[in-house]
Amino acid sequence: MPPLTEHVVLRDLDIVNIADFDVYLQHGGYEALRSAVTEHTPADIVQVVKDAGLRGRGGAGFPAGVKWGFLPKGVYPRYLLCNCDESEPGTFNNHQIIDRNPHQLIEGIAISAYAIEAHTAFIYVRGEFAAAARGLERAIARAYAHGFLGKDIFGRGYDLDIFVHRGAGAYICGEETALMESLEGKIGQPRLRPPFPAVAGLYGKPTIINNVETLANVPMIVRNGAAWYRQFGTEKSPGTKVFSIAGHVKRPGNYEAPFGTPLRELLYSPDYCQGIRGDRKVKIVVPGGASAGWLTAHDLDVTMDYEALAAKGSMLGSGGVIVLDETVSAVEVAYKMDEFFKHESCGKCTPCREGTYFLVKVLHRINHGHGRKDDIPLLHDVYNQMAGNCFCLLGESAVVPIRSALRLFPHEFEQAISRAGNGHAIPLIPAH
Amino acid sequence: MPDVTLVINGQTVTVPAGTNIVDAARAAGVAIPVFCYHPRLPPVGMCRMCLVEVWTPRVDPATRQVVIGDDGKPVMALMMGKLQPGCVTPVSDGMEVRTATEKVHVAQKGQLEFLLTSHPLDCPVCDKGGECPLQNLTMQFGPSTSRFDYGDKIHFEKPIPLGDLIYLDRERCILCSRCVRFQDELAGDPVLGFDHRGRAWEIISKSDPPFDSKFSGNTTDICPVGALTSADFRFKARVWEVRPTASICPHCPVGCNLSLDMRHDKLMRVMPRENDYVNEIWICDKGRFGMRFIESADRLRHPLIRKGDSLVPAPWDEAIALVAEKLSQIREHAGAASLGGLAGPELPNEDLYLFQKLVRQTLGSPNLDCSTGASGAPEVVDLAATLGVGRGTNLAKSGAGTAVLIMGADPEEEAPLYVLRLRGIVARGGDLTVINPYPTKLERSAARSIRPHAGFEAFAALALVKAVLDQGLIATEFVTARVQGLDELTARLREQSVESLCETAGVSEASVRAAAQAFATAEHAIIIYGRAALAAGEDVLRALTDLALLTGKAGRPGSGVIALLPGGNARGALDMGVHPGAGSRRGMGAREMWAAARDGRLRGMIIAGMDPARDNPAIAAALDALEFVVVQDIFLTETAQRADVVLPTASIAGREGTFTNAERRVQRFRQARIPEYNTPAGWEVMQRIARALPPGRSESVTDARPVAGRRAQRASGATATATMDAPPATWDYAVASDVADEIAATVRGYAGTTYASLGLTRAPEWGRQPDEAVYYDGTSYQNAEGIGIQIAATADDPKTVFALRARVPAPFTRHATRPYLLLAVTRAYDGGEWGRESKLRSRMVPPHVILSVADAAAHSVAPGAIVRLESDAGRIELPVQIEVTLPQGLVLIPDVCGTPLSTIQTGPQTWVAISRVA
Ligand SMILES: Cc1cc2nc3c(=O)[nH]c(=O)nc-3n(C[C@H](O)[C@H](O)[C@H](O)COP(=O)(O)O)c2cc1C
Ligand code: SF4
Ligand code: SF4
Ligand code: SF4
Ligand code: FES
Repeated sequence: MPPLTEHVVLRDLDIVNIADFDVYLQHGGYEALRSAVTEHTPADIVQVVKDAGLRGRGGAGFPAGVKWGFLPKGVYPRYLLCNCDESEPGTFNNHQIIDRNPHQLIEGIAISAYAIEAHTAFIYVRGEFAAAARGLERAIARAYAHGFLGKDIFGRGYDLDIFVHRGAGAYICGEETALMESLEGKIGQPRLRPPFPAVAGLYGKPTIINNVETLANVPMIVRNGAAWYRQFGTEKSPGTKVFSIAGHVKRPGNYEAPFGTPLRELLYSPDYCQGIRGDRKVKIVVPGGASAGWLTAHDLDVTMDYEALAAKGSMLGSGGVIVLDETVSAVEVAYKMDEFFKHESCGKCTPCREGTYFLVKVLHRINHGHGRKDDIPLLHDVYNQMAGNCFCLLGESAVVPIRSALRLFPHEFEQAISRAGNGHAIPLIPAH
Repeated sequence: MPDVTLVINGQTVTVPAGTNIVDAARAAGVAIPVFCYHPRLPPVGMCRMCLVEVWTPRVDPATRQVVIGDDGKPVMALMMGKLQPGCVTPVSDGMEVRTATEKVHVAQKGQLEFLLTSHPLDCPVCDKGGECPLQNLTMQFGPSTSRFDYGDKIHFEKPIPLGDLIYLDRERCILCSRCVRFQDELAGDPVLGFDHRGRAWEIISKSDPPFDSKFSGNTTDICPVGALTSADFRFKARVWEVRPTASICPHCPVGCNLSLDMRHDKLMRVMPRENDYVNEIWICDKGRFGMRFIESADRLRHPLIRKGDSLVPAPWDEAIALVAEKLSQIREHAGAASLGGLAGPELPNEDLYLFQKLVRQTLGSPNLDCSTGASGAPEVVDLAATLGVGRGTNLAKSGAGTAVLIMGADPEEEAPLYVLRLRGIVARGGDLTVINPYPTKLERSAARSIRPHAGFEAFAALALVKAVLDQGLIATEFVTARVQGLDELTARLREQSVESLCETAGVSEASVRAAAQAFATAEHAIIIYGRAALAAGEDVLRALTDLALLTGKAGRPGSGVIALLPGGNARGALDMGVHPGAGSRRGMGAREMWAAARDGRLRGMIIAGMDPARDNPAIAAALDALEFVVVQDIFLTETAQRADVVLPTASIAGREGTFTNAERRVQRFRQARIPEYNTPAGWEVMQRIARALPPGRSESVTDARPVAGRRAQRASGATATATMDAPPATWDYAVASDVADEIAATVRGYAGTTYASLGLTRAPEWGRQPDEAVYYDGTSYQNAEGIGIQIAATADDPKTVFALRARVPAPFTRHATRPYLLLAVTRAYDGGEWGRESKLRSRMVPPHVILSVADAAAHSVAPGAIVRLESDAGRIELPVQIEVTLPQGLVLIPDVCGTPLSTIQTGPQTWVAISRVA
C-alpha cells in the first residue's frame, strides 16, 4: 500500500504552522463546520460518518456513526466527550494532534456535537499534557472569538460550548465511564454497564465519547465525502491511522498510514521507521498499546487493520506499536508491562487489584533471579483467575503481556528460574 | 412486573423481572457466594465473588430468532463468552444459570485466594471471627493454603479510628464498598469514601467530625470482614459466647427491634433484629450505643426514704408501706383529686397500664399525664390513633405510588430510623415533600422542600387543603362515605385563596400546589408530623387531618398519619390512658397539676420514669410544695432527689414487656438478665403499692365516646383509641403476661396482643434462606421472637365517619419588642440518662442557641460568643452556633440537658430579644 501523499489527520506535516488559526482558515479550515451547520441536518452528518465507515480510534474500533445512532430519541441535554487521556503505553498521536493541529480537532468536535445535537462538549486531557492543553484552550478561544463556537454559530441558532478538563494522571481515566466519573469530580473508576454512556453517561445524560483521532477525521470526511475517505484503507477498516511507533526502531515517531499497511512496511520502509536499531532482529512487537497481544518476527507480514490483527490473536488497539529487538528479556518485558497495569489498577475489583499485585510479585522475583520451581504454573493460575473475571478491560489487559510471554517465550522463564540464586537481573536495554 | 422463568442448576424457578441472578438463586435455595453484594444495598459488581455461568438461547443476528438445535431445543450460548457476576446480571426468560461448574469453582477459589493475599488472617483476635462471611466462604469455596508469599503482604497501621465510634483495620478490609454505599445511598450521610487506588485503595472518612452519621454502627454489621469494629464492642467478647435476647429500643417512637447480646448478665453489644415492618435490618447509633446505661454504677439499688434533708436506703416493705400510708392519708383528708400521677413515655405498656390503674381506679384520681408540663412543651395532639397509618402498612414496601408529606418534623433527631425508611421510599420511586420552618437533613432527599415562616405553618397546611379543593383533587367516594362537613369546610375557606395563604406562610404557591397534587394523586400517601408541627398548634393538625380525609388517604394500608411524639412509647402511654382525658371525668394534665401543687389543691404525686424537675426550677419548686412525692426510676434524677420515697426498678434488660410504636405496632421485649440489684419491674412496684393501699372509691375508666358507629368522630384529640373497658378491681398479677392479658382484654384495639400471640407473629421470609447467615452474618439477627401486632386505628374501621375541622388560623402577630421567634428543637443526643456509660457521650449536644447568619451579623456575634435571650418569662444566656441555611428571625434552642428552656419559654413558640454578652 503506497504511503499517503497528503495526510488526513497529521496535516501539520503537510502545512507549516497549521496550528495557527489563520493558517488553518487559509487551508479551508472551519468550512466543513460552516457547511454542516448551514447546509446539513444533524442526521445528514451522522449518515456521512456512517457511510465513511469511520471507526473509533480509542481502542475498540467501534464505528462512530453507529455509536452516535445509539442515543435515545428526544432525550436532552446530550454531551459530547473527547477522550484525550492518551495514557496507553507507546501511544502519543493524540498529543501531536492537539499540539500541532488543534483546530482540526475543534472543528471535528463542533461538527460531531452538531450531529448528535449536543450543546456542550468536554475534552478530557491527560494531566501530563499541560502545555498542549493550554495551547488547546488558546485555540478554542480563537474559535470562540470568530463565532465558530459559542452562541448562534453561523447564525443558525446552534450553540456549542467546549470545555477543556485536565486529568490528574491516571490511565484508568481513559476508560470512558471512569473518565465521566473523574469529570464529575469523583474518584476515577469505571461504572457498571448497562446503562451505557449513550443512554446515561456524564451526569446521567446521554453521552457520546470519542477519541481525539476519531473526531479529528470528521472535518475531512464532511469536507470530502464518504467515498473519498473510503479510498484509503480496507473495506472494513476504511481511512488512515496514525501509528505511534516506539522502541527499537531507527526512526520512532507518529506515522499516518492507510489501514491495511503491512507491519513490515511500517518498520522497515524508508518512508516510515527505516528498520531496527543496529539492524538487529525483531523479537517482540506489541501492535496496539500494552493491552495488545504480542507478535514476533514471524508475524511481520500482518496488515495493520482491525481484522487482520484480531485474526492473529492481537489487536490494533490504540495503534501504539512497541517494537523490541532481540536484546530484551521476555520476562522483563512482561514484568515491566504488568508493573504498569499494577500501578494503574484502580482497585475497584478483586482480580485486577490483587491479581496484578500478585503477578508483579512473582514476575519481580523471577526477573531478579529468585524464581521458584512452581512459579510458571503459579503465573498461569494467577492470570487465569483474572482472565474474563475483571470489572473492566484494564484488568483483562494485564493478563495479555504475561500470557503472551509465557506462550511465546516459555523457555526464558524456565531459564530464569533454573538460574535462580545468582541473583542478577537481566537488563531491558543492554548498554552499548 | 411480569415474571421470568429460568433454570438454575437444573431447577426451574420463576421470579419477578428485574431480579438479579443471586437473588433468583436465593429464591431457589441455591447459594451464590457474594461479598460486595448485599440484598439491602444497590449492587455494584466489584468483588467478582458471584461469578457464574450464564447461558442464554442463541439468537440468529439476521433473523433475530432463537436458534433451535437438532434436539428441538434452543441452542444455548455462554453469555459474553465468560463468567458473569450474578449480583448485577438480571434474569431473563429461558436463561440457564450454572453455579457449580469447574469453571465457576476455579473463579471462586481464585477470588478468595486473591482476597486473602493481603489479609492478615488474625481471626483469633478479630471481633468478626465466628460470624465472618470471609471466614465462612473461605471454608466453603476457598483454597486451603495460600501461594502468596507471606513476606509480600501489604501492611497497614492496625486499627485507626474512622471516627470516635468506629475503627478501621485496613489490612482486613476487602474493599467491597458496602460501608460507603450504605452511607451514601441508605443513610444519606455520604461521609465515607475511598482514597488512593489499586492495592493502596483505602476507606477514609471525609467529614469533620469524622464519620459524622447517626447510622454509623450499621456499617460494622454489613462489613463482610472485621475491618470495621465499634468502639463499643471491640475485644469485649467472642460472638459465639453471647446470648442474643430479643429486645425493643426504648429511645424513640420507631421501636427498632434489637438484640441485647449478653454474656451471663453482662451486656456485650446491641445488634439489630430484622423486622421489615419497623427497622428492616438497621438501627441508629442511639439504639446501638445508648444501652449501656443499664449497667451504670449510678443505678438505684435500694428504695430510699427521706429523713430530713437526705434520702436514706430502706427495705422495700418499709418504703411501700410508707407510700401507701401517705397516699391514702392524703386521699382521706384532701380527696382523691388532690393526688396526681405522671409516667414517662419511655415506660413499657405494662407499667403504664398499671400506673394508670393505680392512680385512676385504685387511688381514684383522674389527674394523669405522660408529659412534663413544662411551659414550652406542646400539647400532644394525636392524629396517629384516630387516622394513623392503615393497619398492614409496611414502609419497606412503599415506593412508587406513595407520596410522603413531612410537616414540622426533623426525623433525623426525633426518630432517626425514619430517615432510612423514607429515603428507601424515595429510592423506590416515591415522592417526598418536606415542610418545616427550619432546615433539616431529610429535605435533601425530598422532591420539594417548603419552608414556611415559623409560626405560619398552619397557613401552609391550609394552603394544601385549599389546593386540594381548588384543583378538584377530592377522593369523592371516600369523602361521601366517611367524611362530613365538606360544604361547611368549603364555606369556611371561601374567602381564602391558595395564593394568599402561601403568601402569608411565605412559601411558593407552585411548590404547595405540586405537593398537593403529588399527595392527592398518589395511590398512597402518608403524613408525618413531629415537634415543630405540635409547637405550631392545633390548626396545623386540623388541616393535615382534612388533607388526609379529603384525599382518601386514611383507613387503608400504606396511607395515613404518623406522629413522632417524644419518648419511645408515647403511643403506648396515650393508649394506656396515661393522660387527663382518658377517663370518664377529665382530670388535670401536668401543667395544671403544677399550678395546683403551688396553690395547694394538689398534695401528693406519684411519678414514674420521668424527670420533670430537670432544668426546670419552677417545676422543682412545685414539687417541693407538695406534701408527698414518690418517684419510681432507675436513676436518682433531679426529680427523685426531691422525692419523699424513691423506688428503684429494673431496666428493660431486667424484665419483659411491650411497647407500641408510632405505627401502632405492639412489640414484645424479653428479659435479658436477672434484674439488676434485684430491682422489680415497674408494674410490680405499682402492684405492691396498690396491694398495700386500703380500698377506696374508684374512678370509672370507661370512655364516654364509643369508637364504632356511624357517628362523626373528633378526628383529633388524644383520646380516641385510649378507650377502655372497666378493668377488674383486683391486683393479682404474677407475671408480666398477666398484665398484658388484662391490657388485651380491656384496652380497645389491644385485643389479641397477648404475649402468646405476639410470640407467634412470625416474620414472612424476607428473602432469607436458611444458610444465609453464611453470607450476611453479623448483619442482623433473624427475627424469631415475633414481629409484633399492628393494632387498628379508628379509621381502620370502615364504619367510622370523620368531620372536617380545618379552620382559618388566627393571624399570627409579631411581638413588638421581642422580634425573634424561638423554637425548641429535639436532639437525639440530648445528654439524657440513657447516655450514661455510652460511647456517645462525646457526641452529646452541649447547650447552645442557633442563629441565622443575618441575625448573628446584626448582633456582631461569632460562633461561640455568648448571647442573652430575653422573653416575657425570663432570660437565659447561651453560646452561639450559626446555621447558614436558617431563616432570619428564627432562633433555635436544642432541647438538651443543661438548657433551662422553661426559664424563658412562654409557650411552644416564644418571642425573644437577643443581646450580646461576650
Ligand atoms: C483502561 C482503558 C484505558 C483507555 N484509555 C483510553 C484513552 O486514553 N484514550 C481513548 O481514546 N480511549 C481510551 N480507552 C477506550 C475508551 O474507553 C473508549 O472506548 C474510547 O474513548 C471511545 O472512543 P472511540 O469510539 O473514538 O474509540 C480506554 C479503555 C480502557 C479500558
Ligand atoms: S479491572 Fe477492576 S481494578 Fe482494574 S481498573 Fe478495571 S475496575 Fe479497576
Ligand atoms: S471496611 Fe468493610 S464494608 Fe467497608 S469496604 Fe472494607 S470490607 Fe467493605
Ligand atoms: S431509630 Fe429510634 S428506635 Fe431505632 S434504634 Fe434509633 S432511637 Fe432506637
Ligand atoms: S461482584 Fe457480585 S457479589 Fe461482588
